[in-house]
Amino acid sequence: MRVRGCGTAVVLVAFALLAGHAHAQTTFEAATAAFKDDVHGQAGLTCAGCHATGGSGTYAAPPRTAVAMRCASCHSDAAFMRKFDPQVRVDQLLQYQTSVHGRRMAAGDPRAATCTDCHDAHGVRRVRDPRSPVAPLNVVTTCGRCHGDPVRMAPFGRSAAPPGEWAASVHAAALVARGDTSAPTCVSCHGSHGATPPGVESVANVCAQCHLREAELFRASPKRDIFDAIGQAECLVCHGNHRIASPGDSWVGVEEGAVCEQCHDAASASGAAIVATRRQLDELQTAVSGAAALLTRAEHAGMLVDEGRLALQLAREHQVQSRVLVHAFDAAPFSKAASEGLAAAGQAQDAGEAAMRELRFRRQGLAVATLLILAFLLTLWAKIRRLPAPPA
Amino acid sequence: MSLRAWLDERLPLSDVIDTLRHKRVPHHRYSVWYYFGGATLFLFLIQVGTGALLLLYYRPSAAEAYESVQFIVSRVPFGWLVRSIHAWAANLMVASAFAHLFSVLFLHAYRRPRELTWISGFALLLLTLAFGFTGYLLPWNEVSFFATRVGTDIAASIPLVGEALVRFLRGGDDVTGATLTRLFGFHVAILPAIATALIALHLLLVQRHGMSVPPSVEAQASADPRAVRSIPFLPHFLLRDLFAWTAVVAVLAALATFYPWELGAKADPFAPAPAGIRPEWYFLWAFETLKHVPPTVAGLNGEFVAVAMMGAGAVGALLLPLLVASARARSVVTWIGAAALLFMGAMTVLALRAGQP
Repeated sequence: MRVRGCGTAVVLVAFALLAGHAHAQTTFEAATAAFKDDVHGQAGLTCAGCHATGGSGTYAAPPRTAVAMRCASCHSDAAFMRKFDPQVRVDQLLQYQTSVHGRRMAAGDPRAATCTDCHDAHGVRRVRDPRSPVAPLNVVTTCGRCHGDPVRMAPFGRSAAPPGEWAASVHAAALVARGDTSAPTCVSCHGSHGATPPGVESVANVCAQCHLREAELFRASPKRDIFDAIGQAECLVCHGNHRIASPGDSWVGVEEGAVCEQCHDAASASGAAIVATRRQLDELQTAVSGAAALLTRAEHAGMLVDEGRLALQLAREHQVQSRVLVHAFDAAPFSKAASEGLAAAGQAQDAGEAAMRELRFRRQGLAVATLLILAFLLTLWAKIRRLPAPPA
Repeated sequence: MSLRAWLDERLPLSDVIDTLRHKRVPHHRYSVWYYFGGATLFLFLIQVGTGALLLLYYRPSAAEAYESVQFIVSRVPFGWLVRSIHAWAANLMVASAFAHLFSVLFLHAYRRPRELTWISGFALLLLTLAFGFTGYLLPWNEVSFFATRVGTDIAASIPLVGEALVRFLRGGDDVTGATLTRLFGFHVAILPAIATALIALHLLLVQRHGMSVPPSVEAQASADPRAVRSIPFLPHFLLRDLFAWTAVVAVLAALATFYPWELGAKADPFAPAPAGIRPEWYFLWAFETLKHVPPTVAGLNGEFVAVAMMGAGAVGALLLPLLVASARARSVVTWIGAAALLFMGAMTVLALRAGQP
């Protein structure tokens, strides 16, 4: 292989320019082994593509502050990159320069992350490769190597809690437990090359990438202006940021533990509206779960309740709608959706009750039929016993 | 002129009644096994009746089969009962036919001059299994679809004709709507026609030769003629038969009410096969046996060897009375039959245990 023939060098000296200490050297064997599976190696690039040749056949690692520019010499060249992938993006450097990492690096702070920190130096893989450190299932661990390390974060006055908080979130559950690779990770909200914490004014736009309907309702609601006026980051006030829990109906309320209780008290007019909203949510949940339990009982007894299941499905859709409509902070559309959900849940309940009535009818019919059959069997038995003994 | 006289003038009614009045049935300690033949026939009649009712609404196409069965069990008055009885009676019929076969085997009732009675009876058992196989797919649900695919795949292991046989059974390369239509045709037309003819022959032979008395009872009778009594067919035997049939009705009604036959999810030919797909219980022993056969046996395809051995066993069983003449050979056959029954039972238990979560 050409990489191995790059000279008699036995080590690649990777001098990091971190203040006070140097990165460990990458051995030639380790670098060449990793490079075999590297997207650049597979594309025919060699060591000299990234490394300047040092004296007596050694390759010096580029200074950390120069890594981004070195990568960008190809990755920002649209004409060059098109030869490998006509669809590939070439704006990574521009984005990086706007990021906190890029700005610190440009200021000469080598502790900031650069390309190789996230993508690796010699084993670079495509993002869609599940082994890539920036693949959806790995990217939080990759970010967490620095952002979850209190020692590294302390000099910047940053908390190292976010990766751990994210791991306890509904988003992490979707990604890890359900394997939904579209579930948001660090880069979904902060960006990747242009990684920056979203500001108060832009956080709603970030959430709206996925939660579009909720965002639209909120933007059209009177709450938006109020939150803007008091400088609160819209979605975060109720949902938090990294540890975003699965929302529940109990969030709506003025009792302790409810989300609304942070700002509203039961005695106010808004408190009464919140209580009314919660009551409707609870009624709908009770109706839906009651109908679901009844239909399940009927099904376990062997009854076919397809129409009830359809009605229940409709009720659940209205329930989802009504929960979304909470973000409109307007009683009318919410009540309409909740009422429709209650009506559909009622139909499901009726179907379940009809199935159970039919089941009782069948069992009563069987009891009567069994009695008649038993009576007939007894009669037959008596008749057989009374038959004259057959001649030998 | 009375109706009886009018009929007598045109039909041999009195002759039939006289024959039945004079017909006698042996009565001894094993005669309870005689009733399984009658119970199997009764269950077949139930199948004909309930099957005819289902035909009024059933539509044999991939697009409509599932929905039509759904309509039957949810909309047609007592449709649920008819379908459940049809499904349960099919299973009881297989069980009753097996009990009848093994009782005949163990009581040596196949010996001369009842060779043809055995052969026609064994053919009827195979037909019963064919009824089960062809009827299984008709609801076009997920389980039946994939079980039929697995079942028909087994035929492919037969050299030379295997592929052609699979295409014949499926009406194409895979299980499709064409398979459904084909199996429906077998289930409601071809198999009933053959079964009716064979049942008529079987009953004629039973009537011709009478009930067989086991050799052990015959030996006892030679010393003491009172050891083997006989009872009149009318009314003694018929009333006992009626008692058994009524008990079968009670069991069927209870099963249909407490365990209505499930319809399951509609078959989706493009979906992956769900876990735990297996055939009906009476095919489980063969299904489990095939799972334990090594890929190659003596250089031959293992599945083919197993299928060939089962086929040879079935042919041997069919021709049993022609192959076994002496009392000693019949004794050996009894042990082979017991071993076969034990093997089938053990394999079925293994398959059921493997299917448990």
